[in-house]
Amino acid sequence: MNLALATRDYRTPLILAGLSVCLLVATLFSLSVGAVSIPVKDVAVILLQKLGLFRNVTVEGMHEIVLSSIRLPRIIMTILIGASLGVSGSALQALFRNPLVEPSLIGVSGGSASAVVMVIVFGSALPLPVNGWLYHSLLQLVAFGGGMLATFIVLELSSQLGKTNIAILILTGVAINALAGAVIGLAIFYADENQLRTFTFWTLGDLGGATWDKLRFAAPLLTTACAGLLFFAPSLNLFSLGEAEAYHTGVNVESTKRRVIIFAALAVGISVSLSGIIGFVGLVVPHVIRVSFHSDNRLVLPASVLGGALLLVLSDVIARTVVSPSELPIGVVTALIGAPFFMGLLMNAKRKHEL
Amino acid sequence: MYQATHLSYRIREKILLHDVTLAVAPGQFTAVVGPNGAGKSTLLKTMALEYTGYHGEIVINGRPAKAYSPRELSFVRAVLPQNTTVQFAFTVEQIVSLGRHGYRSSRKENEAIVDEVMLLTGTDVFRGRSYLSLSGGEKQRVQLARVLVQVWEETLYPRYVLLDEPTSSLDIAQQQHIFSLAKKVCERNIGVMAIVHDLNQAVLFADHLYFLREGKLVASGAAHDVFTKPIIEETFCCRVNVYRDPCNNCPYIIPERDVLAHPLVVEK
Repeated sequence: MNLALATRDYRTPLILAGLSVCLLVATLFSLSVGAVSIPVKDVAVILLQKLGLFRNVTVEGMHEIVLSSIRLPRIIMTILIGASLGVSGSALQALFRNPLVEPSLIGVSGGSASAVVMVIVFGSALPLPVNGWLYHSLLQLVAFGGGMLATFIVLELSSQLGKTNIAILILTGVAINALAGAVIGLAIFYADENQLRTFTFWTLGDLGGATWDKLRFAAPLLTTACAGLLFFAPSLNLFSLGEAEAYHTGVNVESTKRRVIIFAALAVGISVSLSGIIGFVGLVVPHVIRVSFHSDNRLVLPASVLGGALLLVLSDVIARTVVSPSELPIGVVTALIGAPFFMGLLMNAKRKHEL
Repeated sequence: MYQATHLSYRIREKILLHDVTLAVAPGQFTAVVGPNGAGKSTLLKTMALEYTGYHGEIVINGRPAKAYSPRELSFVRAVLPQNTTVQFAFTVEQIVSLGRHGYRSSRKENEAIVDEVMLLTGTDVFRGRSYLSLSGGEKQRVQLARVLVQVWEETLYPRYVLLDEPTSSLDIAQQQHIFSLAKKVCERNIGVMAIVHDLNQAVLFADHLYFLREGKLVASGAAHDVFTKPIIEETFCCRVNVYRDPCNNCPYIIPERDVLAHPLVVEK
């Protein structure tokens, strides 16, 4: 009789375990491919040696260097950014009660990117050594602020009597993205010729250039933001009924909303400051999880952490290999997957008269 | 008791509620009736503490409502809105379980309560289905189940359920189903306050009736006493006739065909 109950109880940990295994396999695969091909077995041995195991097995020294100074920081950054984009996408979707919400579409990423670019180009007057840890944390702080400002603007403009007006939501995203594009363009205009290439970095994303230095502050912050969002999964379930309904059921609506926005802006802002704007991860991942399994945020949020990381790791493999030895901007890959997907969602919304 | 005394609510200069005094007793069905725009929904939302800028006093079980935290409030009162739109494909059972959000009780206890309420509301037959695939009446019954699991547990203090036109777009059978369920839960030391559009349904199920017009109370009292031709005509500005059902002695109305030649002058 309680079949539904039983399946619900046992499925969530199983799904999460399955996704973790997929992520692990993809990670090992990603670490092994590239200009220097390292066998997966060696990758595993080097990783385990870092944990103090298999000390007696010898591996090629060059492999060790490539792995620990180039590929390892890059994969960690990829996983953290994918997880952050995935979980903030699903949290914002729950908060806005709409599956069309995505950090780059509604302007959160654009807000972060334009704030960072302004500091990079016009901040040369600041008495700070470029590329020092202080400089990096300033960039991350600014990215966080820009993202939060954008989220608040979107939320204020699109909410009508406690419900989200989807047309205004999407149009606000268009406006903020246009503004962000203009700001980035303007900054690049005043930048020297060498910095021109960074325009691609900020608008289409780039996972290269990951260093342990950059991760020192970003990694704990991104982990905190992801963990913080997971904590709100039960309250976000109530939000899907409506803000008034969430309040009636005992949720402190305003404080939940504020905290979710702060954590999401932190996750997106830090990600953008590390890698530029990588679109559509936060749109595709939660949707696939909802369609494949169910919509309970206690599954969707943690699964988006794993699924976002998985998607970005695989996209990165594609970006690095298809035009090897050159590299595609990662945003090209995610947009090629995500944009048709978004159009599909829009068609679905149109059919249901939601636009 | 769930009491509101001298309740007033205004948005800028517009007065939406003026000096309304109302009490919902545990174990009783209290209905609020009135024409469109009379402030019924505003009254319910203010009572539910959804609107906080009111004047006057709201007291729940002897304690001022403003002293309750949102979570504490969720233990004493549950609210069913006119309609709830859900964008994501939750299953019926997941929606109903959402009502247990504030509780720290074990999963087993929660599931027992959810099972019991779903059986009572007849929603157990589609428990595994997606909420989005249900008809209007089924959706409203699922929402009612969600609201009921929130206050289902027998406690030392009385609980309350506020229903905002729960049957506004439903057929007569669904209306009857919802109201008889609401009436039935009164037995569990629960007080029900409902905004009811259909006057005959209101007098059939309610113990107490409040007539609201232009944000003011026109009349209130035991349902059978105040359900009279003059009070209804004054509240709704239309001509009706009140009869009595010979079987159960319950009054009912039949509106007249012609509108009032001289509509009652509205007092400002």
